[in-house]
Amino acid sequence: MPHTAVWTLRETLIVAVLGAVFGVLYLGWVQVWLILQAIFGAVTMDVVMGFWFIVSIIAAAIIRKPGVALVSEVMAAAVQILLGSPAGLLLLLTGLVQGAGAEAVFAATRWRRWSLPVLMAAGVGAAVASFAYTWVRFDYGSLAPGLLMLMFVLRCASGALLGGLLGHLIVKALYKTGVLSGLAIERDLRGAHV
Amino acid sequence: MLGNLHPLPKLALCLIWIGASVLVFDLRFQLVTLTLAFGLLWGLQRVALWKLLALMVPFALFGFGFLTTSVLFNAESGFALQMANEQALAAPDISPGLVLFTRALACGMVSALFALTTDPGGLVRALMVHLRLPAPVGFALMQAMHLVPDLAREMQVLRMARAMRLGRPMRRLPGPGEVMALTIPLLAFAIRRATRAALAMEARGLRPNAPRTQREILPFQTRDGLAFGMGVGVLAAVLWLV
Amino acid sequence: MSDVLACDGVAVRYPFAAADAVGPLTLRLARGDRVLLLGPSGCGKSTLLQALTGLIPAALPGARRGQLHLFGQPVESRSPADWAAQVAFLFQDADQTLAGFTLADELAFALENRALPPDDIAARVAQAMAQAGLHPDWMGRRIATLSGGQKQMVALTAVLAQGADLVVADEPTASLAPGAAKMMADLLLAPGKTVLIVDHRLGPVLDRIDRVVVLGRDGQTLAEGPPDKVFASHGADLAAQGIWTPLATRLRLALAAQGVSVPAVVQVADLVAHLPPHADLAPLLLPAACQSGTETLRLNRVDCAPPFGPVVLRNISLGLRAGEVLGILGPNGAGKSTLAACLAGLIPPRAGQRTGPPGAMAFQNADSHFAAETTRAECLAMGVPAADCAALLAGWGLDHVATQHPFSLSAGQKRRLALALLTATDRWPVLVLDEPTAGLDHAGTTRIAGHIRRLAGMGKTLAVITHDADFALSVCDRVIVLAEGRVQADGPARTVLRDTALLQRCGLAPPEAAPLLHWMDRTPC
Ligand SMILES: Nc1ncnc2c1ncn2[C@@H]1O[C@H](COP(=O)(O)OP(=O)(O)OP(=O)(O)O)[C@@H](O)[C@H]1O
Ligand SMILES: Nc1ncnc2c1ncn2[C@@H]1O[C@H](COP(=O)(O)OP(=O)(O)OP(=O)(O)O)[C@@H](O)[C@H]1O
Ligand SMILES: [Mg+2]
Ligand SMILES: [Mg+2]
Repeated sequence: MPHTAVWTLRETLIVAVLGAVFGVLYLGWVQVWLILQAIFGAVTMDVVMGFWFIVSIIAAAIIRKPGVALVSEVMAAAVQILLGSPAGLLLLLTGLVQGAGAEAVFAATRWRRWSLPVLMAAGVGAAVASFAYTWVRFDYGSLAPGLLMLMFVLRCASGALLGGLLGHLIVKALYKTGVLSGLAIERDLRGAHV
Repeated sequence: MLGNLHPLPKLALCLIWIGASVLVFDLRFQLVTLTLAFGLLWGLQRVALWKLLALMVPFALFGFGFLTTSVLFNAESGFALQMANEQALAAPDISPGLVLFTRALACGMVSALFALTTDPGGLVRALMVHLRLPAPVGFALMQAMHLVPDLAREMQVLRMARAMRLGRPMRRLPGPGEVMALTIPLLAFAIRRATRAALAMEARGLRPNAPRTQREILPFQTRDGLAFGMGVGVLAAVLWLV
Repeated sequence: MSDVLACDGVAVRYPFAAADAVGPLTLRLARGDRVLLLGPSGCGKSTLLQALTGLIPAALPGARRGQLHLFGQPVESRSPADWAAQVAFLFQDADQTLAGFTLADELAFALENRALPPDDIAARVAQAMAQAGLHPDWMGRRIATLSGGQKQMVALTAVLAQGADLVVADEPTASLAPGAAKMMADLLLAPGKTVLIVDHRLGPVLDRIDRVVVLGRDGQTLAEGPPDKVFASHGADLAAQGIWTPLATRLRLALAAQGVSVPAVVQVADLVAHLPPHADLAPLLLPAACQSGTETLRLNRVDCAPPFGPVVLRNISLGLRAGEVLGILGPNGAGKSTLAACLAGLIPPRAGQRTGPPGAMAFQNADSHFAAETTRAECLAMGVPAADCAALLAGWGLDHVATQHPFSLSAGQKRRLALALLTATDRWPVLVLDEPTAGLDHAGTTRIAGHIRRLAGMGKTLAVITHDADFALSVCDRVIVLAEGRVQADGPARTVLRDTALLQRCGLAPPEAAPLLHWMDRTPC
């Protein structure tokens, strides 16, 4: 099959479907976050944040083409809004920023490298982008530098683990189910003699 | 009745309303929105009461976190406070947690109102006809919309197969362990289904950038304009009142 | 060139496979040819069809060798989507032909892609629906809420509505009830149409085709010609490969083994005329009598509903005995699969009671069984000891695909794997098989019939859903007919299956062997 940067019909459908499924899962995660937050307090958001980056990492690692990380994250955000997310319409912007953070890391490898460290770096990329965004939105400048530092480190770690590592594990499990055959990930893993 | 309206003005109206609901941080407005959506579905659309209540459960769950922190723990969650501060039209005396809770319900019910009265195929087709959405993207969206209810059905089949393999009877509701075990198979199903749909569409001649008949089931009619005007009017009246 | 389709030395190989899945073979179709492609399960029929419009290698992984021309042009000169205007394709799995939308969207889809005027599309869709007998109220229904056979009806209707010059259909009638199968075969194979069709079951298609091409296990042409010539001269070869042959041919060969010789006829009626009185047909057509034990499973006034669906069966009372095989017949959408899940105890009834041990069920869609990475791992996951797995897979002809992913198997291989897993252990006292023979070749059908009788002999309780009355006759002790939400008939298989009026009223047909049963009644032995 031809291997170009243009998305095939199959890839477009997979991005849409993954966006829809993870939109639902993200909404469930909001619930987990709110309960944990009630128990553990304010920095919980930074600890759980990574999961909200995961669809961009999973979709990109499967399809390995420019734009996948960004579009899948925005799609998931749109689904959440339609399902009535408490965060409202601004979520679209949040999704755009997070997706762009992950996409930037993949772009830095020119969409060529998909090892675990790169996926974790993409999680960190999304975390950094989202940290900058929340800084502006929630006026982090007024917080103590120590707390800020802690929040930043926690969020990056969460992006790397809940986003990058968990995403990698899910992709591996999906690969075993055989549904990824014929996609870029299989070509790369089994050698390109199709 | 609402199902006969053109999906695009209906979508615009619902989005405007959701936008207002997000911007107007006021308990009364959220309650009015909720009641209106509920009333339309129940009275005009004749959706059974138990179905409506069941529909509200997930939205209530999303909002529940705000309610618990604000009412049970007697403290506002940081997020809720921040959201309240961000809003220009907030009434400071009402618990932001409560507002966020009702807002989740209100937005959820407006979305449900749209979803329950609109055929996904009709919506996507209208988007393709009027907003020039490319056909592959349109059908990808349609696939995603049809997938969500089918996931529930597939989960039931997966649970049967699992119960058989493990040799224990199936429980009515899946436990947390079972849900974890079903996540990957369900994701795999979603991807497989996307793959198969892509092949089906290709085999039946869907080509990107090729001329294609856009068959629209519902044309624009005067009643669409009337309904839209009425909706905006009611919204303005409610906003003016609160 | 005037040929609609011309294959010269075409062979297809899947990625990472050691051998070709099919071919090399040569095949020609002229305008107006109706050709049946016949072959054992797994010989590469579906693979060949998918290569015909270039889906392999353009959309599905795989490589093709050889020359392939459609309407005089090389296939690869256009994309598969471009060929859709001239070639309508029905996949083996209806879920693969359809994209999962509503009926209205599905039926119009291919016509919209051809950019036909909207009125034309509406007219063609309405005509196809009327021909296939689909109710206009179904237009808004989602594909996922249809029964297996209803999906196949809709897929076929969509393909017919396409109005293409060449129709390529992979097992179009495998899950249709006899009445519906005959109607669709009439539409699909009307004289003058150019059709390439794959089917294991010859019943509804045999007298509507001009030519049959038989592939052997190695994926190469074994025989080709008009049906009666091929079955008369190659009957024994075909039977040896496990390929379906007409009942008369099979009986002739079996009788020859008994030392009874009859002339090479293709129709059962002709066979009856030539049967000598001492021919012993009973062991060839009917199950060995079995001792049935006490009642082990009972449904008491139950209402059954598919998951998230409405109640489709009301007030059903039914008792099953140990060692008894119950056949469940009925038109498409009667609620057979729903009843099966209820009998196996997998879906609790909406009302009423089920008493009896929990059981297992072979799903109508074999895919639903698979959760492991390879065929072999699937076997281990079912609790079969590692040492027995190899023998089990070999017994079902699956040894050469043991390391393949279950989802990449051919349809018949999937079905055989699912059945192998369920019949390998004796852990379930109740076993319900939903259309076990759909998509199986003759060898596979014989094998599952043997396992059904073996398990019955061990005192298990079995129920078998099938659209094949001859299969029901050969394995079932008792048969019920389900239609319009009720049990219409319940009695010994030999009696119910000869009630022609009842069967016809329910969209079913008596077994092909019915004249032979009459002959057996007339001939005291
Ligand atoms: N995607 C795939 N990857 C690898 N092997 C495959 C794939 N699809 C099919 N095969 C193998 O190719 C062979 C031919 O399969 P095919 O589906 O063409 O058989 P078939 O003749 O249609 O059989 P059936 O009558 O059971 O449908 C089988 O052995 C099958 O296991
Ligand atoms: N979710 C649903 N909503 C509405 N109707 C449904 C739903 N699921 C199934 N049905 C209907 O229930 C009926 C019974 O389905 P079932 O699968 O049991 O039929 P079946 O007898 O097995 O048919 P087949 O021979 O085609 O497999 C069908 O008419 C089907 O259309
Ligand atoms: Mg096949
Ligand atoms: Mg069925």
